[in-house]
Amino acid sequence: MMSVYLDYQAAKPVDLRVVSEMTVYLNQKFANPSSLHCEGDEATDALSTSRQKIADFINAPNSDSIIFTSGATESNNLALIGAAMGNKKRGNHVIISEIEHISILNIAKYLERQGFKVSRVPVDQYGIVRLDKLARLINDKTILISISTASNEVGSLQPIEEISEIAAKENILFHTDAVASESVIPLDVQKIPIDLVTLSSNDIYGPRGVGALYLKKGVRVNPIIIGGGQERGIRSGSENVPGIVGFAKAAEIMKTEIKEEAEKLKSLRDKLIKGTLEKIPKSYLNGHPERRLPHNAHFRFDYIEGESLILSLKDENIAAATGSACTSRTLEPSHTLIAMGLLHEEAHGSLVVTLGRYTQEHDIDKLIDILPNIVKRLRLLSPLTPPDLIKKYNEVNE
Amino acid sequence: MKSTQYTEKVLDHFRNPRNMGEIENADGFGRVGNPVCGDLMFMYIKVAKNDNEEEFIKDIKFKTFGCGSAVATSSMITEMAKGLTLEEAYKITRQDVADELEGLPPIKMHCSNLAADALKAAIDNYRTGAEPEVEVATSCQLEISVILGFDEFLGKGAYKEIPEDLEEFRDKRILIVDSGDNSLELSLKLTEYTGRVIVLTSSKEVPGREEIAKKLKKSDVKILHQSELLEIKGEIDEVEKVIIHDYDEDENYELFVDVVIYLDYRG
Repeated sequence: MMSVYLDYQAAKPVDLRVVSEMTVYLNQKFANPSSLHCEGDEATDALSTSRQKIADFINAPNSDSIIFTSGATESNNLALIGAAMGNKKRGNHVIISEIEHISILNIAKYLERQGFKVSRVPVDQYGIVRLDKLARLINDKTILISISTASNEVGSLQPIEEISEIAAKENILFHTDAVASESVIPLDVQKIPIDLVTLSSNDIYGPRGVGALYLKKGVRVNPIIIGGGQERGIRSGSENVPGIVGFAKAAEIMKTEIKEEAEKLKSLRDKLIKGTLEKIPKSYLNGHPERRLPHNAHFRFDYIEGESLILSLKDENIAAATGSACTSRTLEPSHTLIAMGLLHEEAHGSLVVTLGRYTQEHDIDKLIDILPNIVKRLRLLSPLTPPDLIKKYNEVNE
Repeated sequence: MKSTQYTEKVLDHFRNPRNMGEIENADGFGRVGNPVCGDLMFMYIKVAKNDNEEEFIKDIKFKTFGCGSAVATSSMITEMAKGLTLEEAYKITRQDVADELEGLPPIKMHCSNLAADALKAAIDNYRTGAEPEVEVATSCQLEISVILGFDEFLGKGAYKEIPEDLEEFRDKRILIVDSGDNSLELSLKLTEYTGRVIVLTSSKEVPGREEIAKKLKKSDVKILHQSELLEIKGEIDEVEKVIIHDYDEDENYELFVDVVIYLDYRG
C-alpha cells in the first residue's frame, strides 16, 4: 500500500538531482580542501562554488559571510553562544520568544547558567510575537535578539522585518532561525537587514548533517568548536564537502522553484484545512489563518489525544505529527501551544500536517477522507466527549 | 523504545477495544487520571453472585481519553477482570496488565497504565456503597476583592464592566468569569470579535438558562468547569496570564490570556 508522508517539517527526502551531484564527491573527488595537491584544489573549488550558491540563496552580498556547520542546531549554538560570548563586553541580556525551536530554548537556558539574562517575548493567540512587548523588553544591556522567521510548529510567520528595524535602531544583533520557512519563503538579507541567519540543508531537500550560519560582515562571534581553523577559524573541522555540495545544489534548485512550489503547496494545504474544518465538528485551526507557512496546517480536535490520532493514521499509512505530550520525551505538551493560550487538554488533541515537494493532491484527499472517521472513533471512546456530540455521531450512523 | 513502538497486542486492543462504553446503573464506578496530563479513564462494573455465593464481575465497561497505551490497558483489564471474583479482580496490578499486553514502553509504565487503579476505584466504590458517581465539591467563584492582581490590572486587561466598544477585544484571548446570564451572553457576543473566548464556571454543567446553555454548547466558547480564578499576572501593566484552580483535580495551573472579565453587580 502506498504511504502518505505529511511530516515534512520533521524530515525531508533528498532530491535525486542533489544525490547525483553529491556522489562524485563521495568516492572520486574526495580530497580534503586543506591539502595542497590538485585533488585538494578541486575540493577547495567545490567548496567556494557551494558557498557562493548558498550566499545567492539568501542574497548575501559576499560568500565569505556563509559559515558551514553540521546543521541547524549547531548554527543556532554558534549564533547564540558565539554572539553572546563575543559581545559580552557590551552587555549580558538576550531576547528570544516563547515559541522558539527547542534548540534555541535550551541554548537560552545554558546562557542563563553562564550568567546571561534571557527574556522571552510572549505571543498572541495566533503564535505571533508581540512587537510592543519586544520593544519594552529591550534595555541598555541587550546585545542579541533571536526570533525565528516562523514557528516550526504552528507555522505562524513572525514580523522579522519589523524586528530587524527595532534591533538596528537599538544597535542590537538580530539572529533568525530560518529553517521552518526556507523551503517556502525566499529570504533576502539585503532587503531585510539581519545579522545572523540559521539555515539547514535537509529542510530544502539536501542531505542531513549540513547547515550554515550567515554572518553579516563585521558581526563578532566567538567560535564554539575549536580545531584546525577552517571556516575562517569560526568553525573548525575538515569540511563535509559532499554534504556541502549537496546543500548548495539543493539551494540552487530551491531558489528557482520556490515560488511555484509554495503556491502549489498552499492550494493543497488550503484544500486540507477547508475539508477538515467542514467535515469535523469541534475542529479548529491553530495559528494564524493567513499569516502562516504555506505548507503547514495545525489542527485541534477537542476531546481526543494526539498520540492516539497519530497511531490511527499510522494504521492507514499516513505519517503526521502532534503537539501532544504523550509523544514527547518530557511528557510535556508543546510549549508553543501553551504560550498561545491553549489549555493542556487542548494541546493534547493537536495534529500537525506539513506538506512538501512530493505531496500529491490524492494524498490530501486521502487524509480528508479518513480523518473524520478516526476522530469520530476516538471521540466515541473518550469520556470527555459531550453527550450531544455522541448523539449526533450516532444519528448519522442510523 | 519510542512511545509509539507498541507490541502487536497493544495495537490490537487500541484498534479493537473490548468492552468499550458505559453501563447504565452500574454497581461500581471508578475514575482515574486527569485530562490535563493527557489521560482520563472511566471504569464501570456490574456485580453478581456466583454459585459459591461469591461476588464477581458480571459486566465491565470503560471509556478512555488518552494515548495508545491508555486505551489498550483499559481494554485489556476489562477482558482480564470479567468473570473474576471481586477479591481476585482487586489484586490485578499495573504490572499484570502490562505483562498481559506483552509489555509497554518504559515511559508509559506509569503515566498511561492507570487501568488497574480505575478498576480498584470501581470496586471500592461498589464496596463502600457510595453513589457510583465521582464526588465533586462545588463552590462559588471567589469575590473579585480576593482575586490577586484584579485591582492592579483593572483597566489594563481586567474588567468589571462591559466597555462601550467591544472592538477593543478584537483578536484578544478573553477569559470571562461566569457571574450569571449577562456574563454568558457577553461571552457569546464576543465570539464575533475573537476566536478565543473562555468561560470559567464553578458548575459541572454548561451554565446559564436553558436557552443560553444551548447556545453556548453550539458556540466556540470554551468552558472551564469546576474552576475558579485565583490570580491575575502580567508584566509591567498588562494582563499576561491567570492562575486557575481546578477543584475537581484539586490543582492550580496557568493559562495565557489577554483579557479577564468579571462582571460585578454587587456594587
